[in-house]
Amino acid sequence: MIQLKNITKIYGENGGQKVRALDDTNLTIKKGEFIAVIGASGSGKSTMMNILGMLDRPTSGSYYLEDKEVSTLTDDELANIRNRKIGFVFQKFHLLPKTTAIENVELPLIYSNSNDIRKLAVNALARVGLSNRSKHMTNELSGGQQQRVAIARALVNEPEIILGDEPTGNLDSKSGLEIVEIFQELNKSGKTIILITHQQKIAEHAQRIINIQDGKITDDHKVENPLDAKAELATL
Amino acid sequence: MNKIRIINSSFRILRRNKLNTFFMILGIVIGIAALSLTFSMGKGTEKQITERVKNLFNPNNIFITSGREGLGSGRFSEAPVNNFKIEDVEAIMQEIPDIIMYAPIQTTSERDVIFGNKNISTQISGGSADGEIVWRRSVVSGEYISKADELNNARVALIGTKIAKKLFGDSDPIGSQIRIGSVPFIVKGILEPKGADPHGADLDMNVIVPITTLMKRLMNVDYIIGVKLEVDDPAKIDDIVKKISVILRERHSIYNNEPNDFSIMTPVVVKEMIGKMNRVFTLFLPLISGIALLVGGVVIVVIMLMSVSRRVNEIGLRKALGARNKDILFQFILETSVISLFGGIIGLVIGLTGAWIFLTSQGFTFFVPWQSILFGVFIPVIIGILSGIIPARKAALLDPVASLS
Repeated sequence: MIQLKNITKIYGENGGQKVRALDDTNLTIKKGEFIAVIGASGSGKSTMMNILGMLDRPTSGSYYLEDKEVSTLTDDELANIRNRKIGFVFQKFHLLPKTTAIENVELPLIYSNSNDIRKLAVNALARVGLSNRSKHMTNELSGGQQQRVAIARALVNEPEIILGDEPTGNLDSKSGLEIVEIFQELNKSGKTIILITHQQKIAEHAQRIINIQDGKITDDHKVENPLDAKAELATL
Repeated sequence: MNKIRIINSSFRILRRNKLNTFFMILGIVIGIAALSLTFSMGKGTEKQITERVKNLFNPNNIFITSGREGLGSGRFSEAPVNNFKIEDVEAIMQEIPDIIMYAPIQTTSERDVIFGNKNISTQISGGSADGEIVWRRSVVSGEYISKADELNNARVALIGTKIAKKLFGDSDPIGSQIRIGSVPFIVKGILEPKGADPHGADLDMNVIVPITTLMKRLMNVDYIIGVKLEVDDPAKIDDIVKKISVILRERHSIYNNEPNDFSIMTPVVVKEMIGKMNRVFTLFLPLISGIALLVGGVVIVVIMLMSVSRRVNEIGLRKALGARNKDILFQFILETSVISLFGGIIGLVIGLTGAWIFLTSQGFTFFVPWQSILFGVFIPVIIGILSGIIPARKAALLDPVASLS
């Protein structure tokens, strides 16, 4: 599904101090995997996330998405791929202010040629259990609910990859678990999940954990028995 | 991409940032209101004056007024000239057969016109038998001044409909005796209603007596202030004007290097004068309003730039979700255009309402100039697009990573 080959990302090349955020990194992610990328702040995991999400271009190296080299594509072509193939979930939710939940979920559909926008958005909200909140302003929702709106927005175009950048970072542990539960369910339904986090406990819900340190992958291992967020929630 | 949905989304954002939107709209409203107000007032005034002048001035008329050419010609010249005589006009008539008729002009200051115990103050004008044709104004009842009236200094008067109404009410004034000051006159006819002249004077307040009677019995003068000439062919006017000038300069003993002590107005000259006057309204004032509009455009640029800075997150997010640079560009330019168009329409309504109030208060007829569409729709959209370009480019070129962090 995704293959990074010798990816290097250097910041501050035009004067200023050079920072080697990713250093000759290789990574292969298979379709349907649930992986967690873990590392301290400044380790390069955010850069990894930006490169994987095609929000940023590597300084050198190749990025293959479904065997297609994407690091040479134009801005517009990348926008189109982001729109159709990747769903983003951010730490700070990034919902539009003064808009309703449903309007936020519709946003990606505006930039694709989708029909029946309202219906698709309603379905996506139902999948995260927020059918009854669709007309609520986003600032009227709790943090956990806001993040679920963001997940619905990430799902609405049926992307194959869901990219979570510290999606539980701004939430209490119960709300965080609920988000992880949704991610695990999405993974079961076939989505490839990439979860970037600095919390070891959250990472252990994935099937595979990648450690990043100083721009290099220092560890990459399978999780034999991933934690089950649903079961954990039941015990709370 | 789905443009209609982006438009919807833009509308929602504008609705929810009411204060920003309000100030952006306000700038355009002021500019467009000023522009359409001055322009519409100018056009309305122009139309009215042109119509009034047309009433007075046919293509085959020439006016000669006593006094040097320019602003203060005629009675109002800085140094009044009392040397323009009926004999001068008769000499002109004799030497230029292309002039077929004339009507001398002389007017008193305000005089009391009295009937019974009713009294009205108005200016008395001199008239002649030919005046009926030259001025294109006849009587609605009674008879016009005759040649005999002129010759005999007859004490007869033609009165305007408003004078008749005020002095006589509903009864018939024809044959009644009125007094002008202390001099008795018989009402011979009632003048056709005409409304206002180009200076705004009410022609229905006219009282006309034979020119000879006016000069001898009411004013005791031997000069007139002007004459209106009727020529047989408008094409000959330029030629006739030259001839008149030669005759009058000779009769008034004006040396070669001295200016005329009279002025000659033709329909062409009058048209030019009106045009000059109206340039103030239709060019100069709208130009000033244009500056107001420019300020409105700058206000939009500044507020939108601030808005882009505030909405960095939103822009980054939209890009992450698949918006292309041109989608962002389109969205921001659309926002400024919608604001500007909205402001334009409001401004147009305010401006036209103002012009309507002004024009009707002046007794002019109000109409909507076709250029209003330009002011209300076209110009605002152009301003919206232009003022949107800089902020929109800034927004479109934002790096999604930088704007999401």
